[in-house]
Amino acid sequence: MALGNNVALIVVAGCSSVIQGMGPKNSYGYPALNIAFAAGSAAASGMWRAFKQRNKDVTVVVWAGDGGTADIGFASLSGAAERNENFIYVCVDNEAYMNSGGQRSGSTPHGAVTPTTPEGKKENKKELLFLMLDHHVPYAATASVGYPHDLMDKLRRAKTIEGFRYLQVLTPDPYGWLFDPSRTAEVGKLAVQTCYWPLLEVVNGRVQVSNESLHCLRKETRRPLRDFLSVQGRYKRLNDQDYKELESYVDYTWDRILKLMRT
Amino acid sequence: MKVMSGNEAVALAVKLARVGVVGIYPITPQTTIIEELAEMRARGELSADIVRVESEHSAMAVTLGAAVSGVRSFTATSSQGLLYMHEMVWWTSGSRAPLVMVVATRAVGAPWNIWNENTDFMSERDSGWIMAFASTPQEALDLTLQAFRISEDPRVFLPVMVGMDGFILSHTKTNVFIPSQEDVDNFIPPRRQPYVIDPETKESMGNIFPPIYYMKFRQSIHEAITNSEEVIKEVGREYNKISPLGDYGTLNVSYKLDDADYAVVTMGAWSLDAMEAVDKLRENGLNVGLYRVRYIRPWSEKEIRENLGDKRAILVVDRATSLGRGGPLYLELKSTLNIPIKGVVTGLGGVSVGKRDFYSLISRFVEEARYSEVGGVEWYYPGEVKEVELGTPRTAH
Repeated sequence: MALGNNVALIVVAGCSSVIQGMGPKNSYGYPALNIAFAAGSAAASGMWRAFKQRNKDVTVVVWAGDGGTADIGFASLSGAAERNENFIYVCVDNEAYMNSGGQRSGSTPHGAVTPTTPEGKKENKKELLFLMLDHHVPYAATASVGYPHDLMDKLRRAKTIEGFRYLQVLTPDPYGWLFDPSRTAEVGKLAVQTCYWPLLEVVNGRVQVSNESLHCLRKETRRPLRDFLSVQGRYKRLNDQDYKELESYVDYTWDRILKLMRT
Repeated sequence: MKVMSGNEAVALAVKLARVGVVGIYPITPQTTIIEELAEMRARGELSADIVRVESEHSAMAVTLGAAVSGVRSFTATSSQGLLYMHEMVWWTSGSRAPLVMVVATRAVGAPWNIWNENTDFMSERDSGWIMAFASTPQEALDLTLQAFRISEDPRVFLPVMVGMDGFILSHTKTNVFIPSQEDVDNFIPPRRQPYVIDPETKESMGNIFPPIYYMKFRQSIHEAITNSEEVIKEVGREYNKISPLGDYGTLNVSYKLDDADYAVVTMGAWSLDAMEAVDKLRENGLNVGLYRVRYIRPWSEKEIRENLGDKRAILVVDRATSLGRGGPLYLELKSTLNIPIKGVVTGLGGVSVGKRDFYSLISRFVEEARYSEVGGVEWYYPGEVKEVELGTPRTAH
């Protein structure tokens, strides 16, 4: 909807390979090339160049999960970002390999219980946004399904920019995060309100914190992280030390954003 | 005519075919193909968009992404690179995406080895590609040009892989006839393909189908490969008109086979050494001929039966192996013919095999075949190797 017309999708392996329905058409309203995990960014690099050769003004969009982005697809993502390939990359981040049953990914946060981390994940979430910024991309942003208007604004803005554009959308997953599906949007909002998930936009190196996250710039105005964690079953094994680890992860993230804003 | 290497000949063919997108990633001995293409682009001789990717997996994905979006595309690789892109090699044929890849063959590690062997190329023979193998730089150019037309023929609509022996062809310079741009433009029609990703058609590719359609789809690829035989011969005959040296009216090539009692079967550059050995053996009264396999897929049972079916016995020399079984050519011929067949695996990892070796292999084979039932697979080491000590790492000292 926000992307408008003249869009071609590349869907890497994941839930989105399934929910589009059976071939030869799909339910997205856009032409789609479904492709293997590690190939999305490279196929998009070939695709936008093909449209350029054919003198067609088409926006190429890669749609991938956090597994396809942070882990198995990271080499081709990094290559395409470094080459500043002209497409939009959307990472739908539900913080685990949800399509294969919710196993941990590089984007799973510390403490979360998954089928492959039954004792809770020991490591912190991989910093994809910062990693993309280190590729000098012209556009990188985050969004949450809790704030769909912000998400649509960012997609619209991304479409007007040329070069590599990265958008990471936090998409709470009721079955992996263990909460009632009716609370999906609420959990998406809580992630932002507790400053666990910062909403921001970086255009040509200039950082702009989105309105929904402005209160996070000062530690005292942040909503307690517990409000976000306590509604999810995946944090049921969290002890005090894990909680402190997650709190310091949030502090670290915002310190880094503040530093970026100053430079 | 111009003196050039196999790699230069391939790069020239890519330029003549007016390719739109090339995905490039270096690996020895293929590297000078993509370097030459980058040079041509820098000099303004090539209009293709060159994508300097970060891996072979991505090289194939870029080439596929461009192909399904309506543009003629190309890539090249070798050895580890081909194995690394294996997943995308299959995705490309499954997508029925017409495109061309050249493989300058090289041994597969471990241990590291950069020299020639055809196992990398042969290991893709189940992947659903049309697969041709050159024996000279001239043939590398010719087969690459024909590959674009075969690939985009509506009766085929499959990717085509052209192989050539690493270093022996990729880096050796010989005289090559170059067809004119005008002739090539007439020879390769404008791009045709079965599906195009385009906002106007909203076509979707690669998504899930019920099992029965998946299986039918696989069968359609199988049939496209078997039916491509006629297309390849038709394209070959057309190509012969623009190249005075062309001998592409058949898939494979026979040499002094008509009156031969025994035949040797080979593929690639060393076939020319084997031909010299055949000449010499004939001078010495041995009635032998040679059959050179040019197309692995399609595998022309008909041509092979017609040419080899009446022989007393045949010797198949492979520069590749299916470990634990034997050379791939040997295994394919065993499943095609009901005559005594002996297999030889040699030349792996760049072991140098020359016409003297072919002379001794063939004469020894004929001697054996005259008086006994031949069969099985022999691992052959050239003359200067007197003794081979084999051992597992546990027992070696």
